[in-house]
Amino acid sequence: MLCCFKLTGILMTNTATATELDAFYPVRAECVADIPKTRFKIKPGKTLSARRWDAAFSKDGHLDIAKVLRRIHRGGVHPSIKGAVWEFLLGCYDPNSTFEERNGIRQQRREQYGVWKDECQKMVPMIGSGKFVTTAIITADGQPVEEKTSTNLQEIDTVGTSDDSLGGNNSTLDKKVIEWKLTLHQIGLDVVRTDRALVYYESEANQAKLWDILSVYAWIDGEVGYMQGMNDICSPIIILLENEADAFWCFDHAMRRLRENFRCSTGTIGVQSQLSTLSQVIKIVDPKLHQHLEELDGGEYLFAFRMLMVLFRREFSFVDSLYLWEMMWAMEYNPNLFLTYESGSDSKGGGGTGGNDKHLKQYGKFERKNVKMGPNDQQLPLPVFLVASVLEAKNKRILKEAKGLDDVVNILGDVTGNLDAKKACNEALKLHKKYLSKIKN
Amino acid sequence: MAALPARARADYDYLIKLLLIGDSGVGKSCLLLRFSDGSFTTSFITTIGIDFKIRTIELDGKRIKLQIWDTAGQERFRTITTAYYRGAMGILLVYDVTDESSFNNIRNWIRNIEQHASDNVNKILVGNKADMDESKRAVPTSKGQALADEYGIKFFETSAKTNLNVEEVFFSIGRDIKQRLSDTDSKSEPSTIKINQDQGANAGQAAQKSSCCGS
Repeated sequence: MLCCFKLTGILMTNTATATELDAFYPVRAECVADIPKTRFKIKPGKTLSARRWDAAFSKDGHLDIAKVLRRIHRGGVHPSIKGAVWEFLLGCYDPNSTFEERNGIRQQRREQYGVWKDECQKMVPMIGSGKFVTTAIITADGQPVEEKTSTNLQEIDTVGTSDDSLGGNNSTLDKKVIEWKLTLHQIGLDVVRTDRALVYYESEANQAKLWDILSVYAWIDGEVGYMQGMNDICSPIIILLENEADAFWCFDHAMRRLRENFRCSTGTIGVQSQLSTLSQVIKIVDPKLHQHLEELDGGEYLFAFRMLMVLFRREFSFVDSLYLWEMMWAMEYNPNLFLTYESGSDSKGGGGTGGNDKHLKQYGKFERKNVKMGPNDQQLPLPVFLVASVLEAKNKRILKEAKGLDDVVNILGDVTGNLDAKKACNEALKLHKKYLSKIKN
Repeated sequence: MAALPARARADYDYLIKLLLIGDSGVGKSCLLLRFSDGSFTTSFITTIGIDFKIRTIELDGKRIKLQIWDTAGQERFRTITTAYYRGAMGILLVYDVTDESSFNNIRNWIRNIEQHASDNVNKILVGNKADMDESKRAVPTSKGQALADEYGIKFFETSAKTNLNVEEVFFSIGRDIKQRLSDTDSKSEPSTIKINQDQGANAGQAAQKSSCCGS
């Protein structure tokens, strides 16, 4: 009798969680067939719940990050609190701070975002208007183009006519302004192609929000500007954090991890450096596979380009990529992240507290190993090992069936919708361990 | 290492590698999806780096396997995408008939081909989104035709959405390449050395490579 009751209880929870997920990120009915199946499930007792999250804070707001990380490693984060948790995982805030201190920072950042947005709006009035462009507003030499908005056919009034973009003195600022304006329609073109299966992006206002944030980011990070793929990174964050300024800052912090991938110089795209790390890893953990790929002219691992660039967004359903990201970020977590970002220094260091166990628990599983190794060793990013683990999982098929790079792409394409985020991360950790032990010998 | 025709794998007589290039948002991926899967989706998605699809067609009783590589349009991806020009036997240059700058950029794309692709690569000009209302059209058919004539290449206006001319484009370039390959085959058979010295043999080599692997 009791057993029977229990079973019903479990069944009911399962149905409840499935509907719950749908309610958080509803998908347009006509698109359900086009997207990968979601595997993530909210598991009571494993997934970090709102109740557990609240309980992890002390009275004045200090966060027991070790407890939170342990939970995320076990079952991800409940959708109702993802935004708030991600802010910590990405280092927007110091777990070792009070509610009051964080509110102060939040307020400051909101104001700063407002200032930047105003600056952009002065150059291009459409920013913040709820509309956006999908065709060029200026020509390559900075002349305004008379154009129409994509979404309705109203004329843009003063786009591109402000003095700073037309002044003939070609100062650095002029060049920066022109370059920025030239990216705005690219952002618009991508906004209308971002997560279109979600009901959320049916709304023009939400599309415009994505456009605004990416446009402001491109302005303040002139070195990176905008590159396709950044839309895929930004999109979930906007859905998770309702306040636009908060979403901007969370995206900004995600970019601090990822921006090297998007940074281009003549002849190279940043992500290629991760691809060469991947090549180096496979060469060591699976020389046979590496050799086979080289024979197929795939030694540059370009077929893994997209996986690294948009962190597996195309291989996972929307919900599962969120699960994967929080799992990865929890594994890579370093309690000094916030301080590192605020001080603008590059090294995360171990904080000088040595490797005592209690302290180590504040680090993610992956980062712990790096800390133990000490700062002198080469620190490799977790996503590279994730790709490596996917390659390893397909190793037999690639060796046996791949007779060209098209076959490799095809075989890897089969993972879409078939990967379990948690398993994939654990495999990546194992591979990391294997790699470390091999290079030691 | 004779330059054998690509006939070794059981499931096709010729393997033809095509490449889609053109500005961002002109509909390259939609054209490809229409051709390979026969569908059109409104949940558009940006191409990151490079992607590809396969479709096998029949021409004059021969099975032609088309391996079609799709590229990201944003200029910054060119370092990646141009790596795929070399292996391409045919390139589809796509613009959007409602977007004049995408048409004006075709000249830049052609310059890219001249720099990175093999000399004898087949090209075809494609003006997509031809289903759109005339009021939205920015590039008249005559202008597209004139540009194609200038470069001596074929020209089609297409719509991935309504399936206008999509088959025609791919079949047309496929037919021309098959013709070129079979000409090269018959010419090359007496002397393999000559072919290897010939600049124009790149495409033949690409075909040869896959036939080697298949055997």
